[in-house]
This record gives sequence, structure tokens and C-alpha cells, in this order.
Amino acid sequence: MEDEENSTHQDQDQALQKKHQLMLERLSARHQTRLETRKPDSPESSATSAFLSRFNDSKKSIDAQLESASDPSRLVDISFTISDLEKLVAENSYLLPSYEIRSSLKTISDLKQSLDNLSSQLIPKKKFSFKNKPTKTQTQTQIPKSDDTVSLPEKTTTNYLFRDSPGLRNKQNQVLVQNFKGSDIGEFTVSDLDSCEVKLVGCVNSLFVNRLKNCKIYAGPVVGSILMEEVEDCVFVLASHQIRIHFAKRSDFYLRVRSRPIIEDSDGLRFAPYCLKYEGIGKDLAAAGLDEETGNWANVDDFKWLRAVQSPNWSVLPEEERVGAVDLLLRAVQSPNWSVLLEEEERLRAVDLADSG
Amino acid sequence: MGLLSIIRKIKKKEKEMRILMVGLDNSGKTTIVLKINGEDTSVISPTLGFNIKTITYQKYTLNIWDVGGQRTIRSYWRNYFEQTDGLVWVVDSSDLRRLDDCKMELDNLLKEERLSGASLLIFANKQDIKGALTPAEIAKVLNLDAMDRTRHWEIVGCSAYTGEGLLEGFDWMVQDIASRIYMLD
Ligand SMILES: Nc1nc2c(ncn2[C@@H]2O[C@H](COP(=O)(O)OP(=O)(O)OP(=O)(O)O)[C@@H](O)[C@H]2O)c(=O)[nH]1
Ligand SMILES: [Mg+2]
Repeated sequence: MEDEENSTHQDQDQALQKKHQLMLERLSARHQTRLETRKPDSPESSATSAFLSRFNDSKKSIDAQLESASDPSRLVDISFTISDLEKLVAENSYLLPSYEIRSSLKTISDLKQSLDNLSSQLIPKKKFSFKNKPTKTQTQTQIPKSDDTVSLPEKTTTNYLFRDSPGLRNKQNQVLVQNFKGSDIGEFTVSDLDSCEVKLVGCVNSLFVNRLKNCKIYAGPVVGSILMEEVEDCVFVLASHQIRIHFAKRSDFYLRVRSRPIIEDSDGLRFAPYCLKYEGIGKDLAAAGLDEETGNWANVDDFKWLRAVQSPNWSVLPEEERVGAVDLLLRAVQSPNWSVLLEEEERLRAVDLADSG
Repeated sequence: MGLLSIIRKIKKKEKEMRILMVGLDNSGKTTIVLKINGEDTSVISPTLGFNIKTITYQKYTLNIWDVGGQRTIRSYWRNYFEQTDGLVWVVDSSDLRRLDDCKMELDNLLKEERLSGASLLIFANKQDIKGALTPAEIAKVLNLDAMDRTRHWEIVGCSAYTGEGLLEGFDWMVQDIASRIYMLD
């Protein structure tokens, strides 16, 4: 995070920088408080500003203690004060806006670092001769984590897949249909698809979505969570208790979620309310506890965005650009197989047949 | 006397245990904590930072730190290492694709000197899902047998939905910590 290595004769310089940094923080905190108090009618923002002022007071006092501490006996007190501050954040984590939580976390992390530095100055280190060395050879060399790259995680190939979980994988230019009704499938995977349309009907416990390009995914309610990674140029119509979206690009999401949607390492995402129809979807949504619109589709939390202003990585899909209701017309594909794969033309023929029969 | 030993002494008097819950995002950490505390688990948001729950368990006070597992905030885990008595590593046993990630993050954690004294409980969660790996299979994937001999560890299959396995896991951990810290009096 910071590059404060090799402090030989730059101590003074650093002290100055630190003061400067502190001043900036104070200023920005004051600015923040002012911003918050400008909307006095919102109870949340006044709770936030009350928290912020307590947080900043406490932080200032810890900074002062850190600066003046000259003997080790003070360290314990400081450590307890930092713990108290941490508890304050934890207690408020439900009502604080997400950027406040994360910037408070950063501050606490920095304070702990300063305390560590101070205690290693004040207490001469005992020499440990046996560090916990990794004994086995299976440790891979680590790629240093950088904080703001949007590059994909380094993936080693999985060589211990015990079994393939149920799913739709490795297809191009197809319409894929899966009906969960009457099946006992718990988790389902949709992965490695290019230019496909996927229709998932009925309830499932959890859904994994990976590596899709140019696809349309329509799904009935997911009782647990959806975990999505590496998708681009897709449209999703999904209902779920939780959804976590990682490494997604240029995609539209029509969502109903009980908690706030999470995005991380993503950009060009747009959000709108859920709009799926198929025969019996009302019952499925009710069974999954998703029959109510929560409005959470618009409460997206971007883990890569630490500021009070709207994240540039997502937006609300303008109403005039939204698709209408999507109707899956699934009577056509009630096959005994749990997965029915049809080419586009075959699907159309199947719809005809079902309609006439 | 060093800082840590002073803190440890204070804790000892209060019969307090500090438990750190970590694991990949979506593994079920928050659901487990709420379930064990008898709270409603029907609406849980992904954890943005962390939560603390103080639970009285047998004659001990457990301070449970539940830290978010999203990739961006994993670098904060290390803030919580200090003074940890018990480490709970939660695995989504149905998430086969991210088992590599899961193993890598656990391996990194176990290299931490500050955690070297902590009892390690691995929860193979979501056992209620059909297709979930069994605790034995998870143990194999995570190569738990190769762990440092000095580490006290246990793997327990559980479901935060049904509650199955949760008490068994916590019982083991609390006993293990107690026998290391408190029985010495
Ligand atoms: N089927 C099933 N689902 C579970 C179980 N435990 C948790 N879940 C679901 O898994 C999803 C993730 O649970 P959380 O408790 O939010 O996971 P977490 O580990 O706290 O995630 P982060 O806060 O992002 O780190 C939720 O949708 C839960 O309902 C379980 O035992 N079985
Ligand atoms: Mg959580």
C-alpha cells in the first residue's frame, strides 16, 4: 500500500509527511462532516456524522498518544484504545455507508501499523531462530498482490475435481434449457459459454456462473447465493438472496435480491429490476422468499470504489433501454432429461409443436 | 514483559477467547455466526468490513470476529491476527471451482507467525447441498495432513442452514483453547 521502506535518514522527512497527511485527513473529515450535516433530515446521515466525529476524535487522540509515547508501558493502553475504536466501527457497520466502513478499516489498519512500528522501536525484538518455515514443497511462488489492478486472478488448474457438479458447460451458439422442478439439484454451474441463451426454470440452492461471453441468462429464484466471475457482454435476469459479481464487463443485470449486490473488479455494468415470466414463477418466487421487490437491485456495492460519490463502474439502466418482461414459454421443453439442448431452429419447432398439442 | 504477554494475562482473568472467522467470500461465515447465536439468518448481506459478536459459550466469553472474504478486503485479515486464540476457516464445500483459491489463502494464513499458536477449526460448510464435498474430501484437497505437527486442528462438516455440526466444531475449539490457556492455572 504505502512505500515507506528504508528509513535511514529520512525520519524527519517522514515525520513531516505524516503531519501533512494527518492534516489532510482532518480536513477531509471536516469536509465530510459538513457534507453529511447538509442533509439534516436523513437520520442515517446524522448517525454517520456522529460516528465520524467520534471516530476522528478517537483517531486524533491515538495519533497523539503514538507520537508522545516514550516507554513500553504505554503500548498496552494504546493497543486497547485502538481495539475500542475497532469495536466502534464494528458496532456501526450496519448503518454506515460502505465507503465509510472501508475507509475506517484502512485507518485502523494504519494505526495498528504505527503501533507495531513503535513497539518494535521501544521493545528490542527477541530473536526467534525458528520461524515457521513452509516445510512442504507445495507452496507456489506468490504473485505480489497489487491493490488496484483489474487483471484476472492467477489461476492454477484444478486437479482435484472429484466430480463434475450439475451444470451447462462449453457450448456455443445454443439455447440451453434446464428445469429444476422435481429435480434434487442443489448447486448448479453455468460456465464457458459463448453466444448462448440459457433458461433456468424453478428454484435452486446456489448458482455459479463463470466465463461467459455474449450470453443471455434467465433464471428462476436462487434460494442461497449467486457467485459470478469473468463474464462480458451479457444480459442476466436473476433473482437471489445474495449476488457477488467479480471480473464482469459491459453487462446488464435485471435483478431481484434480498441483500445488496456486490461487484468487484468490474466495469460497464448496468442494473434494472427483475423482469422474468414463466408459468408458475409466482409460486417459485414465493417459495424462495423472493416474491417482494426490495429495490436492492439499485443498491450496488462496489468493493473497488472507496469514495462517497457514485462508482463509475456501474449505473442504473435507463428505463427506455430496458427489455420488457422476458417470457420463457417453457411448456415447449418438458423433457424427461434434466437438460435439454436445442439448436435455435429446433427450439422454434418445439415451441410450435407444444402450442399445437 | 512484552506487550502480548500482558494482554494475555488480562484476557486470562476474564476467561475471554478471541476467535477469528475467515474464508473466501460466500463460504457462509456470517450465516454460521448468526446461527450459532440464535439469530435470524434469512437476510444476510455480504460482509463489507467485519462484525464482532460476543457470545457466552459454556463458561467462556467468545469474541468472534467475522471478517469479509471478498478479494479486495482479504488484505485486511492480517489486522485481526494479533491475540487470536482460535482460527475458524470456513469452506463452501459446494464451490469446487475455487478450491484452489481456498487452499492458497489458507496456506498463506498458516504461514503467519502471529497465528502460529491458534487452534484451527475448519468448517466444511454447506453439507446440506447435494454435490458438496465431504469433510474428508475437503481435508484431502487442502492437504491438511501435511500441516505443521505443532498445530492443533480439526475439520468438521456442517451446515449453517440446518445447524448441524456447528456445536460440535465450536465445542472442539473451545475445549482445545481452554486446555492450552486456562488449564495452566
Ligand atoms: N445451502 C447452504 N447455503 C448456505 C449455508 N451457509 C451459508 N449459505 C449461503 O451462502 C451464502 C453466503 O453466506 P454468508 O454467510 O453471507 O457468507 P460469508 O462467508 O459471510 O461471505 P462474505 O461476507 O462475503 O465473506 C448465503 O446466500 C447463505 O445463505 C449452508 O450451510 N447451506
Ligand atoms: Mg459475511
